[in-house]
Amino acid sequence: MLEGCPGSKTMDLREKEGQEDTASVKVISQLRQWPIQMHLISPMAPYFQGADVVLVADCVAYAHGNFHNDYLKGKAIGIACPKLDSEQEIYIEKIKGWIEDAKINTLTVLIMQVPCCSGLVKLAQEAAQSANRKVPIKYIVLSLQGEILQEEWL
Amino acid sequence: MEMEGYINKNIKDIISQYPEIGSILNEYDIACVSCNVGTCLLKDVVEVHNLTYEAEHELMKRMAKVIFPGNEVKIPKVKRKIGPAAGQIKYSPPVRKLVDEHAFIKKLLAAIPHILESLNVAKVEDRQLIIDSVDFIRSYADKYHHAKEEEILFKKFGEGIEIIKAMLDEHDIGRGHVKAVLEAVEAGDNQAIKERLTAYCELLKDHIKKEDEILYPWMDKNLTVFQVGELFNQFNEVDKGFEAASRKYEGFAKALEERFNRASQKIFCP
Ligand SMILES: [Fe+2]
Ligand SMILES: [Fe+2]
Repeated sequence: MLEGCPGSKTMDLREKEGQEDTASVKVISQLRQWPIQMHLISPMAPYFQGADVVLVADCVAYAHGNFHNDYLKGKAIGIACPKLDSEQEIYIEKIKGWIEDAKINTLTVLIMQVPCCSGLVKLAQEAAQSANRKVPIKYIVLSLQGEILQEEWL
Repeated sequence: MEMEGYINKNIKDIISQYPEIGSILNEYDIACVSCNVGTCLLKDVVEVHNLTYEAEHELMKRMAKVIFPGNEVKIPKVKRKIGPAAGQIKYSPPVRKLVDEHAFIKKLLAAIPHILESLNVAKVEDRQLIIDSVDFIRSYADKYHHAKEEEILFKKFGEGIEIIKAMLDEHDIGRGHVKAVLEAVEAGDNQAIKERLTAYCELLKDHIKKEDEILYPWMDKNLTVFQVGELFNQFNEVDKGFEAASRKYEGFAKALEERFNRASQKIFCP
Protein backbone atom coordinates (compact mmCIF):
# COMPACT_ATOMS: atom_id res chain seq x y z
CA MET A 1 0.00 0.00 0.00
CA LEU A 2 1.25 3.47 -0.84
CA GLU A 3 1.73 5.45 2.35
CA GLY A 4 2.19 8.82 0.65
CA CYS A 5 3.98 11.81 2.17
CA PRO A 6 4.59 11.34 5.91
CA GLY A 7 4.15 15.10 6.28
CA SER A 8 0.49 14.92 5.34
CA LYS A 9 -0.35 11.37 6.43
CA THR A 10 -3.51 11.23 8.55
CA MET A 11 -2.77 10.41 12.20
CA ASP A 12 -5.28 10.06 15.03
CA LEU A 13 -3.74 11.30 18.28
CA ARG A 14 -6.93 11.34 20.36
CA GLU A 15 -5.87 8.66 22.82
CA LYS A 16 -3.97 11.40 24.65
CA GLU A 17 -7.22 13.25 25.42
CA GLY A 18 -7.86 13.91 29.09
CA GLN A 19 -4.48 12.43 29.97
CA GLU A 20 -3.04 15.74 31.09
CA ASP A 21 -4.54 18.27 33.40
CA THR A 22 -6.25 20.63 30.95
CA ALA A 23 -5.05 23.90 32.41
CA SER A 24 -7.56 25.87 34.36
CA VAL A 25 -4.74 28.43 34.71
CA LYS A 26 -4.79 31.12 32.07
CA VAL A 27 -1.60 31.02 29.97
CA ILE A 28 -0.32 34.49 29.23
CA SER A 29 0.91 35.19 25.70
CA GLN A 30 4.66 35.72 25.44
CA LEU A 31 4.46 37.30 21.98
CA ARG A 32 6.28 40.64 21.97
CA GLN A 33 5.94 41.64 18.32
CA TRP A 34 3.81 41.81 15.21
CA PRO A 35 3.96 40.63 12.44
CA ILE A 36 5.45 37.15 12.74
CA GLN A 37 5.12 35.54 9.29
CA MET A 38 8.46 35.54 7.45
CA HIS A 39 7.05 37.31 4.36
CA LEU A 40 5.68 40.07 6.56
CA ILE A 41 8.46 40.71 9.06
CA SER A 42 11.21 43.25 8.60
CA PRO A 43 14.54 41.89 9.87
CA MET A 44 15.46 45.43 10.90
CA ALA A 45 12.52 45.79 13.32
CA PRO A 46 13.80 46.89 16.74
CA TYR A 47 12.71 43.70 18.51
CA PHE A 48 15.16 41.69 16.39
CA GLN A 49 18.19 43.78 17.38
CA GLY A 50 20.59 41.59 19.37
CA ALA A 51 17.75 39.18 20.11
CA ASP A 52 17.58 35.45 20.56
CA VAL A 53 15.41 34.62 17.58
CA VAL A 54 13.26 31.54 17.01
CA LEU A 55 12.47 30.54 13.45
CA VAL A 56 9.47 28.29 13.82
CA ALA A 57 7.66 25.98 11.44
CA ASP A 58 3.95 26.86 11.39
CA CYS A 59 2.75 23.59 12.96
CA VAL A 60 5.08 23.68 15.98
CA ALA A 61 3.06 25.98 18.20
CA TYR A 62 0.02 23.70 17.80
CA ALA A 63 1.92 20.51 18.58
CA HIS A 64 3.80 21.76 21.64
CA GLY A 65 1.33 22.63 24.39
CA ASN A 66 3.60 24.99 26.30
CA PHE A 67 5.09 26.77 23.30
CA HIS A 68 4.83 30.29 24.75
CA ASN A 69 6.65 29.53 27.97
CA ASP A 70 9.13 27.01 26.63
CA TYR A 71 10.24 28.68 23.41
CA LEU A 72 8.73 32.14 22.89
CA LYS A 73 9.40 33.77 26.25
CA GLY A 74 12.05 36.49 25.89
CA LYS A 75 12.57 35.75 22.19
CA ALA A 76 11.77 37.34 18.84
CA ILE A 77 10.04 35.13 16.28
CA GLY A 78 9.54 34.43 12.58
CA ILE A 79 7.24 31.67 11.33
CA ALA A 80 7.17 29.85 8.01
CA CYS A 81 6.20 26.62 6.32
CA PRO A 82 9.11 25.19 4.35
CA LYS A 83 6.77 22.86 2.47
CA LEU A 84 4.03 25.19 1.28
CA ASP A 85 5.37 28.75 1.30
CA SER A 86 6.44 30.32 -1.98
CA GLU A 87 9.44 32.53 -2.73
CA GLN A 88 11.57 31.17 0.07
CA GLU A 89 14.68 32.92 -1.30
CA ILE A 90 13.25 35.98 0.41
CA TYR A 91 13.43 34.07 3.72
CA ILE A 92 17.14 33.44 3.17
CA GLU A 93 17.73 37.16 2.67
CA LYS A 94 15.74 38.00 5.80
CA ILE A 95 17.58 35.47 7.95
CA LYS A 96 20.84 36.87 6.61
CA GLY A 97 19.55 40.32 7.60
CA TRP A 98 18.91 39.07 11.14
CA ILE A 99 22.47 37.77 11.38
CA GLU A 100 24.33 40.64 9.71
CA ASP A 101 22.25 43.75 10.32
CA ALA A 102 20.10 43.06 13.37
CA LYS A 103 23.15 41.31 14.90
CA ILE A 104 20.97 38.71 16.59
CA ASN A 105 22.49 36.80 19.50
CA THR A 106 21.36 33.30 18.53
CA LEU A 107 19.00 31.56 16.12
CA THR A 108 16.90 28.56 17.15
CA VAL A 109 15.06 26.70 14.39
CA LEU A 110 12.04 24.73 15.61
CA ILE A 111 10.61 22.13 13.28
CA MET A 112 8.31 19.13 13.24
CA GLN A 113 9.61 15.59 12.77
CA VAL A 114 8.10 15.27 9.29
CA PRO A 115 10.84 15.15 6.63
CA CYS A 116 9.77 18.23 4.63
CA CYS A 117 10.17 20.38 7.74
CA SER A 118 13.95 20.02 7.72
CA GLY A 119 13.91 22.44 4.77
CA LEU A 120 13.67 25.23 7.32
CA VAL A 121 16.98 24.20 8.91
CA LYS A 122 18.58 24.12 5.46
CA LEU A 123 17.26 27.62 4.77
CA ALA A 124 18.84 28.89 8.00
CA GLN A 125 22.12 27.14 7.19
CA GLU A 126 22.22 28.65 3.72
CA ALA A 127 21.59 32.12 5.11
CA ALA A 128 24.26 31.63 7.78
CA GLN A 129 26.83 30.49 5.23
CA SER A 130 26.28 33.56 3.08
CA ALA A 131 26.40 35.96 6.06
CA ASN A 132 29.63 37.76 6.96
CA ARG A 133 28.90 37.38 10.67
CA LYS A 134 28.51 34.14 12.61
CA VAL A 135 25.90 33.28 15.24
CA PRO A 136 25.23 30.05 17.13
CA ILE A 137 22.36 28.17 15.49
CA LYS A 138 20.49 25.36 17.14
CA TYR A 139 17.64 23.23 15.90
CA ILE A 140 14.95 21.41 17.79
CA VAL A 141 12.78 18.68 16.30
CA LEU A 142 9.36 18.01 17.84
CA SER A 143 7.20 14.94 17.49
CA LEU A 144 3.56 15.22 16.39
CA GLN A 145 2.71 15.03 20.12
CA GLY A 146 5.00 17.96 20.88
CA GLU A 147 7.81 16.03 22.55
CA ILE A 148 11.44 16.98 21.89
CA LEU A 149 13.00 14.34 19.64
CA GLN A 150 16.28 16.08 18.97
CA GLU A 151 17.97 19.24 20.14
CA GLU A 152 21.37 20.15 18.71
CA TRP A 153 23.66 23.04 17.94
CA LEU A 154 24.80 23.20 14.33
CA MET B 1 17.77 3.62 55.28
CA GLU B 2 18.37 6.64 53.08
CA MET B 3 21.06 7.41 50.49
CA GLU B 4 19.83 11.00 50.52
CA GLY B 5 22.28 11.94 53.27
CA TYR B 6 25.20 10.75 51.17
CA ILE B 7 24.42 12.40 47.85
CA ASN B 8 25.36 15.80 49.28
CA LYS B 9 28.68 14.52 50.63
CA ASN B 10 32.07 15.16 49.14
CA ILE B 11 33.20 12.20 47.04
CA LYS B 12 36.74 12.05 48.45
CA ASP B 13 35.39 11.62 51.99
CA ILE B 14 33.01 8.90 50.87
CA ILE B 15 35.80 7.04 49.07
CA SER B 16 38.21 7.31 51.98
CA GLN B 17 35.50 5.94 54.29
CA TYR B 18 34.40 3.25 51.78
CA PRO B 19 37.30 2.51 49.39
CA GLU B 20 35.17 -0.07 47.56
CA ILE B 21 33.04 2.78 46.22
CA GLY B 22 36.10 4.09 44.37
CA SER B 23 36.40 0.82 42.45
CA ILE B 24 32.68 0.77 41.72
CA LEU B 25 32.89 4.30 40.28
CA ASN B 26 35.91 3.21 38.23
CA GLU B 27 33.81 0.53 36.58
CA TYR B 28 31.55 3.32 35.31
CA ASP B 29 34.57 5.27 34.01
CA ILE B 30 34.15 7.75 36.83
CA ALA B 31 37.72 8.33 37.87
CA CYS B 32 37.27 10.07 41.22
CA VAL B 33 39.95 7.96 42.91
CA SER B 34 42.71 9.33 40.69
CA CYS B 35 41.31 12.88 40.61
CA ASN B 36 43.76 15.48 41.86
CA VAL B 37 41.12 17.36 43.80
CA GLY B 38 38.10 15.16 44.51
CA THR B 39 35.95 17.73 46.27
CA CYS B 40 32.88 17.17 44.07
CA LEU B 41 29.64 16.10 45.76
CA LEU B 42 28.34 12.62 45.03
CA LYS B 43 25.18 14.00 43.40
CA ASP B 44 27.24 16.23 41.06
CA VAL B 45 29.47 13.31 40.18
CA VAL B 46 26.45 11.25 39.19
CA GLU B 47 24.72 14.13 37.40
CA VAL B 48 27.65 15.28 35.27
CA HIS B 49 28.53 11.81 34.02
CA ASN B 50 25.18 11.64 32.29
CA LEU B 51 24.68 7.89 32.67
CA THR B 52 21.50 6.27 31.43
CA TYR B 53 18.82 6.12 34.15
CA GLU B 54 19.23 2.35 34.42
CA ALA B 55 23.00 2.64 34.82
CA GLU B 56 22.64 5.43 37.36
CA HIS B 57 20.14 3.43 39.42
CA GLU B 58 22.38 0.37 39.33
CA LEU B 59 25.39 2.44 40.39
CA MET B 60 23.53 4.04 43.29
CA LYS B 61 22.24 0.64 44.39
CA ARG B 62 25.74 -0.81 44.44
CA MET B 63 27.08 2.13 46.42
CA ALA B 64 24.19 1.91 48.88
CA LYS B 65 25.01 -1.78 49.43
CA VAL B 66 28.53 -0.78 50.47
CA ILE B 67 27.35 1.99 52.79
CA PHE B 68 24.41 0.11 54.34
CA PRO B 69 25.30 -3.59 54.07
CA GLY B 70 22.35 -5.89 54.46
CA ASN B 71 19.74 -3.14 54.51
CA GLU B 72 17.02 -2.16 52.05
CA VAL B 73 17.92 1.33 50.86
CA LYS B 74 15.78 3.94 49.14
CA ILE B 75 17.60 5.20 46.03
CA PRO B 76 17.17 8.90 45.29
CA LYS B 77 16.94 10.07 41.70
CA VAL B 78 19.51 12.68 40.74
CA LYS B 79 17.82 15.55 38.88
CA ARG B 80 19.07 16.11 35.35
CA LYS B 81 18.23 18.20 32.33
CA ILE B 82 17.46 16.64 28.95
CA GLY B 83 20.43 16.51 26.66
CA PRO B 84 22.00 14.24 24.11
CA ALA B 85 22.10 10.59 25.16
CA ALA B 86 25.16 9.40 27.01
CA GLY B 87 28.01 8.65 24.66
CA GLN B 88 27.26 11.19 21.96
CA ILE B 89 28.64 14.64 22.59
CA LYS B 90 27.42 17.65 20.64
CA TYR B 91 28.93 20.88 21.85
CA SER B 92 27.53 24.39 21.41
CA PRO B 93 29.66 26.51 19.04
CA PRO B 94 31.58 28.44 21.74
CA VAL B 95 32.30 25.29 23.76
CA ARG B 96 33.34 23.51 20.56
CA LYS B 97 35.97 26.23 20.12
CA LEU B 98 37.47 25.31 23.50
CA VAL B 99 37.49 21.63 22.52
CA ASP B 100 39.33 22.59 19.31
CA GLU B 101 41.92 24.43 21.42
CA HIS B 102 42.32 21.29 23.53
CA ALA B 103 43.26 19.45 20.34
CA PHE B 104 46.28 21.76 19.90
CA ILE B 105 47.25 21.47 23.56
CA LYS B 106 47.08 17.67 23.21
CA LYS B 107 49.51 17.86 20.28
CA LEU B 108 52.04 19.50 22.59
CA LEU B 109 51.34 16.98 25.38
CA ALA B 110 51.92 14.14 22.91
CA ALA B 111 55.30 15.64 22.01
CA ILE B 112 56.50 15.96 25.63
CA PRO B 113 57.75 12.36 26.07
CA HIS B 114 59.73 12.70 22.83
CA ILE B 115 61.17 16.03 23.91
CA LEU B 116 62.23 14.52 27.23
CA GLU B 117 63.58 11.26 25.85
CA SER B 118 67.18 12.35 25.34
CA LEU B 119 66.99 15.79 26.95
CA ASN B 120 70.20 17.59 27.69
CA VAL B 121 69.39 21.12 28.70
CA ALA B 122 73.04 22.13 28.35
CA LYS B 123 72.53 21.76 24.60
CA VAL B 124 71.25 24.97 22.99
CA GLU B 125 68.55 23.27 20.84
CA ASP B 126 67.22 21.17 23.74
CA ARG B 127 67.07 24.19 25.99
CA GLN B 128 65.31 26.21 23.30
CA LEU B 129 62.73 23.47 22.71
CA ILE B 130 61.85 23.39 26.41
CA ILE B 131 61.61 27.18 26.52
CA ASP B 132 59.39 27.22 23.41
CA SER B 133 57.17 24.49 24.84
CA VAL B 134 56.84 26.36 28.11
CA ASP B 135 56.03 29.49 26.12
CA PHE B 136 53.24 27.56 24.35
CA ILE B 137 51.90 26.31 27.68
CA ARG B 138 52.03 29.71 29.33
CA SER B 139 50.69 31.74 26.42
CA TYR B 140 48.34 29.46 24.53
CA ALA B 141 47.19 26.90 27.10
CA ASP B 142 47.14 29.26 30.07
CA LYS B 143 46.84 32.94 29.20
CA TYR B 144 44.57 32.30 26.24
CA HIS B 145 42.66 29.05 26.81
CA HIS B 146 42.51 28.77 30.59
CA ALA B 147 41.72 32.48 30.82
CA LYS B 148 38.70 31.97 28.57
CA GLU B 149 37.56 29.23 30.92
CA GLU B 150 38.29 31.05 34.14
CA GLU B 151 37.25 34.58 33.26
CA ILE B 152 34.31 33.85 30.97
CA LEU B 153 32.90 30.31 30.90
CA PHE B 154 33.26 29.29 34.55
CA LYS B 155 31.95 32.68 35.72
CA LYS B 156 28.57 31.81 34.21
CA PHE B 157 28.23 29.04 36.78
CA GLY B 158 29.51 30.74 39.91
CA GLU B 159 32.82 29.97 41.55
CA GLY B 160 31.24 28.07 44.42
CA ILE B 161 30.53 24.92 42.42
CA GLU B 162 32.84 22.13 43.54
CA ILE B 163 33.52 20.73 40.06
CA ILE B 164 34.62 24.17 38.89
CA LYS B 165 36.79 24.64 41.97
CA ALA B 166 38.44 21.32 41.12
CA MET B 167 39.18 22.54 37.57
CA LEU B 168 40.60 25.84 38.88
CA ASP B 169 42.79 23.93 41.32
CA GLU B 170 44.15 21.84 38.46
CA HIS B 171 44.97 24.98 36.48
CA ASP B 172 46.94 26.16 39.51
CA ILE B 173 48.74 22.87 40.00
CA GLY B 174 49.73 23.07 36.32
CA ARG B 175 51.09 26.59 36.80
CA GLY B 176 53.21 25.29 39.67
CA HIS B 177 54.72 22.55 37.45
CA VAL B 178 55.51 25.04 34.69
CA LYS B 179 57.18 27.46 37.08
CA ALA B 180 59.30 24.60 38.43
CA VAL B 181 60.28 23.58 34.88
CA LEU B 182 61.60 27.09 34.18
CA GLU B 183 63.55 27.08 37.44
CA ALA B 184 65.01 23.70 36.54
CA VAL B 185 66.03 25.04 33.13
CA GLU B 186 67.88 27.87 34.88
CA ALA B 187 69.55 25.39 37.23
CA GLY B 188 70.41 23.04 34.35
CA ASP B 189 68.62 20.21 36.19
CA ASN B 190 67.51 17.68 33.53
CA GLN B 191 65.92 15.34 36.07
CA ALA B 192 63.69 18.05 37.56
CA ILE B 193 62.62 19.20 34.09
CA LYS B 194 61.66 15.64 33.20
CA GLU B 195 59.72 15.11 36.41
CA ARG B 196 57.75 18.32 36.35
CA LEU B 197 56.99 18.34 32.63
CA THR B 198 55.83 14.72 32.84
CA ALA B 199 53.64 15.61 35.81
CA TYR B 200 52.20 18.54 33.83
CA CYS B 201 51.56 16.27 30.86
CA GLU B 202 49.66 13.75 32.96
CA LEU B 203 47.69 16.41 34.79
CA LEU B 204 46.60 18.22 31.63
CA LYS B 205 45.83 15.05 29.69
CA ASP B 206 43.36 14.07 32.42
CA HIS B 207 42.10 17.60 32.87
CA ILE B 208 41.24 17.94 29.17
CA LYS B 209 39.53 14.55 29.12
CA LYS B 210 37.38 15.59 32.08
CA GLU B 211 36.45 18.87 30.43
CA ASP B 212 35.72 17.37 27.01
CA GLU B 213 33.73 14.42 28.23
CA ILE B 214 32.15 15.54 31.47
CA LEU B 215 32.34 19.19 32.40
CA TYR B 216 31.65 20.82 29.01
CA PRO B 217 28.67 18.60 28.12
CA TRP B 218 27.21 19.31 31.56
CA MET B 219 27.77 23.05 31.10
CA ASP B 220 26.22 23.00 27.64
CA LYS B 221 23.11 21.40 29.06
CA ASN B 222 22.81 24.08 31.69
CA LEU B 223 23.60 27.20 29.63
CA THR B 224 20.59 29.10 28.34
CA VAL B 225 20.39 29.95 24.64
CA PHE B 226 21.06 33.58 25.57
CA GLN B 227 24.21 32.57 27.48
CA VAL B 228 25.50 30.51 24.54
CA GLY B 229 25.17 33.57 22.27
CA GLU B 230 26.83 35.77 24.88
CA LEU B 231 29.68 33.26 25.32
CA PHE B 232 30.14 33.10 21.55
CA ASN B 233 30.54 36.89 21.37
CA GLN B 234 32.83 37.08 24.40
CA PHE B 235 35.10 34.34 23.01
CA ASN B 236 35.14 36.05 19.60
CA GLU B 237 36.37 39.24 21.25
CA VAL B 238 39.22 37.40 22.99
CA ASP B 239 40.02 35.41 19.82
CA LYS B 240 40.27 38.61 17.77
CA GLY B 241 42.93 40.00 20.09
CA PHE B 242 44.88 36.73 20.02
CA GLU B 243 44.52 35.94 16.31
CA ALA B 244 48.14 36.26 15.18
CA ALA B 245 49.44 34.63 18.35
CA SER B 246 47.09 31.67 18.13
CA ARG B 247 48.15 31.08 14.53
CA LYS B 248 51.77 31.04 15.69
CA TYR B 249 51.19 28.68 18.63
CA GLU B 250 48.87 26.34 16.73
CA GLY B 251 51.54 26.18 14.03
CA PHE B 252 54.15 25.33 16.67
CA ALA B 253 52.00 22.46 18.04
CA LYS B 254 51.36 21.14 14.52
CA ALA B 255 55.06 21.27 13.67
CA LEU B 256 55.92 19.32 16.85
CA GLU B 257 53.32 16.72 15.96
CA GLU B 258 54.71 16.26 12.46
CA ARG B 259 58.28 16.12 13.68
CA PHE B 260 57.70 13.46 16.32
CA ASN B 261 55.10 11.49 14.41
CA ARG B 262 57.71 10.92 11.78
CA ALA B 263 60.29 10.03 14.40
CA SER B 264 58.22 7.29 16.04
CA GLN B 265 54.71 6.10 16.77
CA LYS B 266 54.97 6.45 20.54
CA ILE B 267 52.56 9.07 21.83
CA PHE B 268 51.36 10.55 25.11
CA CYS B 269 52.85 10.83 28.53
CA PRO B 270 54.88 7.90 29.87
FE1 LIG C 1 40.60 23.84 32.21
FE1 LIG D 1 40.40 23.45 28.97
